[in-house]
Amino acid sequence: MNNQSQAVDGFIKKVFAFLDEKNSQQLAPFLQCFDPANSKIIVNANPFAQPAVFLETWQRAVVQTQHVLTGLDYHVIPGTGTTICSVNGKVRFDESGRDKEGQDSAITEITGAGNAGVGPRAPAAKPRPLWGPYFGISLQIVLDDRVFNGDHNCVIHSFNYTTVYKPDDSLMSV
Amino acid sequence: MDWSNTELYQLTTAIGTSASFAWLPSTRPFLQASRGNTMMQNIYQNPTGFAQQNALDKRVKISVKGWQNATRQDLVSFVSRKTRIGIVDSTVEGNLVVGFVNSQTEAQSLLNWNGVRFAGNALKFEILGSGTGDAGTSKTIVLLKSFLFKRYSPQAKMLDLGNLRNDPDLATNGLFSSQTTQSKIFPAMMKLASKESQLVVESVNLSDNELRDLNMISCLAQTYPNLKNLCLANNQISRFRALEVWKNKFKHLRELLMMNNPITAEPLYQSEILRLFPRLVILDNVVVRDEAKLQQVFSIPMKLQQFFFENNELGQSSLEFVSNFLTLWDTNRSQLMPLYTPQSQFSVAVDSSVPASSVPNADQNPTFGYYLPLSRNLTKVSSERTKQQRLAMGQEDIDKIFKSIPKTKHFLQEQASSYSLEAFSYAQVQGFTITLHGYFDEVAHPDVDANKSTSNSAGGRNRRFNHGHANTTNKLTRKSFDRTWVIVPSQGTVIIASDLLNIRSYVDGSWIPQQQVQEPLVQGQSPAPPLGPQPVQPMPPAPLQPVVPGAPATAMPAAPLTLPAEVQAKLNPIQLDLLNRLHQQTKLNAEFTYMLADQSGWNFDVAMKGFQESVNNIPREAFV
Repeated sequence: MNNQSQAVDGFIKKVFAFLDEKNSQQLAPFLQCFDPANSKIIVNANPFAQPAVFLETWQRAVVQTQHVLTGLDYHVIPGTGTTICSVNGKVRFDESGRDKEGQDSAITEITGAGNAGVGPRAPAAKPRPLWGPYFGISLQIVLDDRVFNGDHNCVIHSFNYTTVYKPDDSLMSV
Repeated sequence: MDWSNTELYQLTTAIGTSASFAWLPSTRPFLQASRGNTMMQNIYQNPTGFAQQNALDKRVKISVKGWQNATRQDLVSFVSRKTRIGIVDSTVEGNLVVGFVNSQTEAQSLLNWNGVRFAGNALKFEILGSGTGDAGTSKTIVLLKSFLFKRYSPQAKMLDLGNLRNDPDLATNGLFSSQTTQSKIFPAMMKLASKESQLVVESVNLSDNELRDLNMISCLAQTYPNLKNLCLANNQISRFRALEVWKNKFKHLRELLMMNNPITAEPLYQSEILRLFPRLVILDNVVVRDEAKLQQVFSIPMKLQQFFFENNELGQSSLEFVSNFLTLWDTNRSQLMPLYTPQSQFSVAVDSSVPASSVPNADQNPTFGYYLPLSRNLTKVSSERTKQQRLAMGQEDIDKIFKSIPKTKHFLQEQASSYSLEAFSYAQVQGFTITLHGYFDEVAHPDVDANKSTSNSAGGRNRRFNHGHANTTNKLTRKSFDRTWVIVPSQGTVIIASDLLNIRSYVDGSWIPQQQVQEPLVQGQSPAPPLGPQPVQPMPPAPLQPVVPGAPATAMPAAPLTLPAEVQAKLNPIQLDLLNRLHQQTKLNAEFTYMLADQSGWNFDVAMKGFQESVNNIPREAFV
């Protein structure tokens, strides 16, 4: 039993870490966690047909995030080989105006020689994220019982991620 | 004596403390002033005259009878000594001494001294003048208000506050007569503007105001936090530090004009401005940000929806299920038991994290006293035994926990927009999951208090929570929740394989549109009648009616005039009749009709005259 709840807790934290991942190279193992044929993915009540489409959208069109786990409960449904988890958390977004690639929307226009001293931002300096206020999320996730043995391959059967509250001082619109 | 300085101070304090200024009667002094005050007409007809008169306006003319056994001077000294109220500019008129006191308050307290003995006689005080101490304030309000409407363009949604100094109306009334007045006029104007719902402002022009910094106009950010366009051209702003007060403000500012300010010559000008205004696209007529990219960075492609159903059929049945389930949950939980089997599981988890204070209506001080002994939040509970105990399996266990949860009232029918639901199939159980997010009110304490379940055996001693455990933490409040049911259809009905309830601090749901005003809930409504023993099937479909967030209703019917109830309550029948007649004649909407009546001292003829004179300057949306 001990192992069971630790396994769930560990896996959910891993999911959050994947969602917060900035480097798209690191996401291949996350894709492998989803059942490729039958997994249902719903984000803010929008369904995704394919896990790959969801991950690609998340990677390309959502800025860097930071998830915190605040609540977790689960039920093993007997005779089905699956477990349903109810997860609550909070998430904040990088509101610096840069996407995960570090690109921002500013039009870098060199306005003649007067600007030479300032120049474009040094690319070497890694921009740090400017975290906005926390949003609340609720996640229901159906997992294969193999997750209790540490097997994370194709274990996510469904993934229902919903933003349940939003601060009004955030720059993000959901 | 700089009257306007004082008036503006009074104005700012008066407005600051008034909750609903747009409908003025809530500021009582204002209404009293406008009722009996004939000076109102004077401003209307002779705006230049009233500045000089005003210092005198505040004084109240009084008379004293019964002083004849002494001199006027003796009387004034006596009154001053006795009542601490000074009578100035006093003269003898027949058997009266007539003079002035400083304010209506003083005049009123003087009346309390009626009958005081002076030189063998009882004195009698009377108020002759009708001016009040707030008359000047209300005049300034009227003046600034009409100025705002004059400078507002409804088509462009623009408030043109350029070159205030040289505005003839403001200048003649002395509002720019001194430095201190100037620094107050803009905040006063902003406070007035923020109470005028008709001023829908997306753009503000503040050019040509000789501004050196933003101190005077910094409150613009409070009045119009969502401003899209701002012009500060032709000012004297020279330092970045001056702009810092607007950092993290104006998050929707799209265009800024700063031409002809010394600051534009600074080398870091553009990057600093970009830093201050995260959504700025155009600076001094130059595109500085890629709008499409900006849009993408600050939004999530998965737009929040209130509902998701895998198919329509599932939508209909899950709404019915949820609605029937919660009706019984609120009224008689044991009737839900037929839905659970010996293998069904139920548990409660408390997410005690407190939402940010900027979340609309977030409960910053939630109490979870009744739930904590039941909570199976695995991030908080470390003991394996406890984790096991708090998972209820089978009807008996589930019923026991149900009895330990406070009695509730959900508002699925009354407040459908406060709930969000997702339903989709769950192949492995040959059923589906339904997740509902929303809120409930706790209406009564639970039948069983889980906090006390271990204490009775020792006769009240040896209690587990014996260190300052008080029942006050168990107050009943509103909570938000997420609840997930795993449903398996079975022989014409359904069973619940799993029921996961998460309780958290109350917040407004993120799917609720921000502009939507929370309607007050109808508390006294009787709950729907309880269902029969087979609850899920028999209930007739009672689908949720998602409330379409309409634009706030501003349109007023042409006739008769409808005023907000709280306004109507404070008007007498004559005033109501006057408003209605004005409304019929002018076709102005309720608020403008009121303004007109107000400005003309509740005199129909004066009002009509004023209306005809200024009809061309009245904004379009002033009319119905």
